[in-house]
Amino acid sequence: MAAPLGFRMDASACIGCRSCVIACKSKNGLPPGTHFRRIIEYGGGTWIPDPEDPTLLAPSGIFAYCLSLSCLHCEEPACVPACPTQAIQQRPDGIVLIDSGRCTGCRYCEWACPYGALAFDSSTGRMIKCDLCVDLVDGGEEPWCVTSCVTRALEVGPIQELRARHGQLDALAPLPSGEQTLPRLVITPHPHGQPAGQGTGRSSNPERDLR
Amino acid sequence: MSDPPGRDQNRPYHLHRRDFLKWSAVAGGSALVVGGLGAGLPLLRGPRLPWDIEEPGVPAPGPVRLTGGEWIPAACWHNCGGQRCLLAAYVVDGQVLAVKSDDTQPDTPHAPQMRACARGRAQEGQVFGPDRLRHPMKRRNWQPGGGRRELRGMDEWERISWDEALDLTAAELERILGEHGNESILELGSTLRHLFTGLGGAVINWGSTSWGTWLDTGPMIGLGDGLSRTSHNDRLDLQNCELIVLWGGNPAWSAQGNTMYYYLQARRAGAKFIFIDPYYNDSAMTLADEWVPVRPGTDHALALGMAYTLLDEDDPQHNPLIDWDFLNRCTVGFDREHMPAGAHPDDNVRDYVLGRRDGVPKTPEWAARTCGVSAPRIRRLARRIARTRRTALLTAWAPARTHDSDSWPQMFLTLGCMMGHLGQTGRMTGVSCWERTADGGPFLIGPGGSGVPPLRGAPRRTTARINNSELWDAVLEGEYTAREGDRRSIDLRAIVHDGASALNQVSGLLKGIEAHRRVEFVLTLNFVYNTNARYSDVVLPVTTQWERHSYFKGNRSHLTWARQVVEPQYEARDDSWIAAELGRRLGLDPAEMLPLSPEQEEFNRLAGAWVVGPQGQGRERLVTITEEDIREMGVQGQPQKGRITLAEFREKGIYVVPRRPGDGLGHIAFEAFRKDPRGHPLSTPSGRFELHCQTIADHVRSVGFSRIDPIPVYRPPAEGYEETFDDFERGIKGPFPLQLMTLHYRRRTHSVFDNVAWLREAFPQEFIMNTLDAEARNLATGDIVLIRSRHGAVLRPVFVTERIMPGVVALGEGAWADVDPGTGLDRAGATNVLNGARPTGQGHQGWNTCVVEVTPYRGPIRLQADWRQPPRMPQGAV
Repeated sequence: MAAPLGFRMDASACIGCRSCVIACKSKNGLPPGTHFRRIIEYGGGTWIPDPEDPTLLAPSGIFAYCLSLSCLHCEEPACVPACPTQAIQQRPDGIVLIDSGRCTGCRYCEWACPYGALAFDSSTGRMIKCDLCVDLVDGGEEPWCVTSCVTRALEVGPIQELRARHGQLDALAPLPSGEQTLPRLVITPHPHGQPAGQGTGRSSNPERDLR
Repeated sequence: MSDPPGRDQNRPYHLHRRDFLKWSAVAGGSALVVGGLGAGLPLLRGPRLPWDIEEPGVPAPGPVRLTGGEWIPAACWHNCGGQRCLLAAYVVDGQVLAVKSDDTQPDTPHAPQMRACARGRAQEGQVFGPDRLRHPMKRRNWQPGGGRRELRGMDEWERISWDEALDLTAAELERILGEHGNESILELGSTLRHLFTGLGGAVINWGSTSWGTWLDTGPMIGLGDGLSRTSHNDRLDLQNCELIVLWGGNPAWSAQGNTMYYYLQARRAGAKFIFIDPYYNDSAMTLADEWVPVRPGTDHALALGMAYTLLDEDDPQHNPLIDWDFLNRCTVGFDREHMPAGAHPDDNVRDYVLGRRDGVPKTPEWAARTCGVSAPRIRRLARRIARTRRTALLTAWAPARTHDSDSWPQMFLTLGCMMGHLGQTGRMTGVSCWERTADGGPFLIGPGGSGVPPLRGAPRRTTARINNSELWDAVLEGEYTAREGDRRSIDLRAIVHDGASALNQVSGLLKGIEAHRRVEFVLTLNFVYNTNARYSDVVLPVTTQWERHSYFKGNRSHLTWARQVVEPQYEARDDSWIAAELGRRLGLDPAEMLPLSPEQEEFNRLAGAWVVGPQGQGRERLVTITEEDIREMGVQGQPQKGRITLAEFREKGIYVVPRRPGDGLGHIAFEAFRKDPRGHPLSTPSGRFELHCQTIADHVRSVGFSRIDPIPVYRPPAEGYEETFDDFERGIKGPFPLQLMTLHYRRRTHSVFDNVAWLREAFPQEFIMNTLDAEARNLATGDIVLIRSRHGAVLRPVFVTERIMPGVVALGEGAWADVDPGTGLDRAGATNVLNGARPTGQGHQGWNTCVVEVTPYRGPIRLQADWRQPPRMPQGAV
């Protein structure tokens, strides 16, 4: 049985540049409004009267970091049981794929996934998602998000090996705890990284819409 | 797609797992066992529904999109400030299906792939965008002489043929030249340069836009300008630093590609980072161990407070903070004992800092009030940087892109010289930004010349040069400053935008629109309907670099060779063809404008391409070219031996000079000079770093806008922090209480790419504001705000964050102006609506000094999210 694959994401190196986001769009031909990969920015802190000069303000605990996320090809993906037509299945190597012939576009999977990893393709009325560049992976190559990263913050490989080398951390704020779906993700934390569920900051959605 | 988890708790479908299970059971009516409830259990199938007859197998992967075509090395040709990356386009039957970047070699830390940024990867969005200019157009209400000029920017367009477009353009240029002479034509690009040279010249614009004051001051005091000549060490030597100070720069946004990777390598090798910047930017987020927020335009004051600390606390025996040996041997002007010939001994830096020259000691307390950094922190900062031996004191151009900052580079150099951070491994002082970020030193590789001879009678004849900050006034008022004490009249009748993006990208945009509505003829050559095109009379569609024969570009240690990717789109033609056709109609020899075939130019560049020899000794030819290659290319030339074959270079499109420590290809800036200043003098009159520099003082005076001292005296800048007050001494704020910074934004390279939907989606044009300033105005992220300066007003959604200093706001430069005709408000957030034209010093653009006020907008204009807005199309010409 093929060793399940996963991602390693180095949050201490991610600059939030979206090279991976656009590379993914180009590889998959995705229109605006649809993406398989996103950057989540998270940060916080405050400004206080400067303890050394009350006429000035000083930053206090200001921090920020970015997480690059796609489908995490979870060990217990929420999307799979959510699908009423069993269109979503997982290969032995962990890659979660959608059978577009069975997908009815009900979007239950989109609701179920805590990572927002599934997208509705309005042109076909079906769901689409990251397939880990399966065409490349099957040929021994790496996904485009990984090879596009300018700071080499993304890595793909057998998840057991990645965990052996980089640890077990699979969530940082503002992500949900990994207990929900057991994502195949190893995060190298940013020095200011905050534990999932205990973050003091807030995320700023890069796709901020106007109100 | 949906928001990231955690952001919007109100969205109904971000269900917790428990909720989902409950809801699912109701909907599906069948039991569902999932791993979350019993880790390790096998995953059971989802609910069985009536139509679900067949048990599904594992789905086959979807059809492979990228099949049946070929990868072609493709140009990324804009003035992006990044490393100059390689793209490759996947082409099937003349259509580009995807774009990737360098994967031609294994990726290693020392010889990394030249990976492209989001913008380059979105290149297909502008080459094939819905708003490509498809055919020549004429403004409906234009007539020779101008027609209804006031309709420029609002008129409808008519499609016309190339013949008609060229005929009427040539006729109108001929009429204006005949009636008003060459000094009536303002040429704001360069692609018709040969044409106008042949016609006897045109008026052009001048002035530093990117560099700020580093352009002139840097070389005059003995450093580099940061682009044509660098002052920092190479990227591998950065890894020898203990401390890297990045003063006013954000390479993660403004110098994309591998540059942040190089800094990260230095961090992994042990370097600590200090960021001095009003914004806790994405580079600081990634690298900073310490962030020192400083108000825009006050860096000079902060540096003076640090210099005072060093002078105040230095004790050569017990607390050595100042490298007196370096100052005495390698600089002039620091103290009265080391003045250059002819200088007044009172005009020395030391006495100015200590207040002996003007009665004002530049204490940290004095500095704190202006720059916003507390005095104790200024002292700690000075001590830390001075005491850390292997320090890189690096800056970008942004702090020098402020009004009246002609002495700032000299102040920065003064600090570096006082600490002795120059000319040794791990030690450097200077600019590390734009294409040369994090990798200084002379180039190790380069293309040959094109072989295109200069036009007969070269050099280019220009009739007048107008500073960017007087450009629109020159059109409207008919006067400009030629030099000190020399104001001249000028009568401009035509504006030609042959490339560039002057209307959008020069300060005083609203005045620029007025100027465009004043003249008789406006011509634009472009491939998209940008701001220049919008306010023109005739628009000629040109090809992009992907539709042209070849393109060479590189950086210190790599060279790319991009080839034509697709045929010219629609009716687009090359600028050179347009120049030749216009020239023919105006009595010039078209051959003068097309002297070589594109194939011969390409061959010349390949044949002349060079790469540095082993251990940095000499140069060798890069490309082996055979007789057969020459025959196939159909060019004139001789075969040659080089490092790689033509076939390999053509297929890969890139050659990277491999680097490793000790390879002899590194660079320590000013190493020989430091060891032996007499034997290796600088190009300054004194041969040393000039902390007293009469050359720059004389130069600034000769330009005619303002004067500076020969030593680095702080001058409160026009539209700086001081001008946010009605009464600075009493601390009473004025009508424009906030300082605006204009950022190199990730969505664009200057104004290029602003029309690409993928990038508009990824990087909204939002107005960045501190939480406290937003609270004081009752604003929350997403609210539409009205941002007003003395020069204009724009509307934008606000993004509220702690990451910017209170009192400072920021907006990305380069959005394509979208001025509402009724109100005069710009809906796009074009920063040059806010930045007024204020000529100072050496005539640079002072974009980072601008004072504004921000209020909630409650008027009738509605804004859609940037990426949901329809593309801007010329109305009427289908």
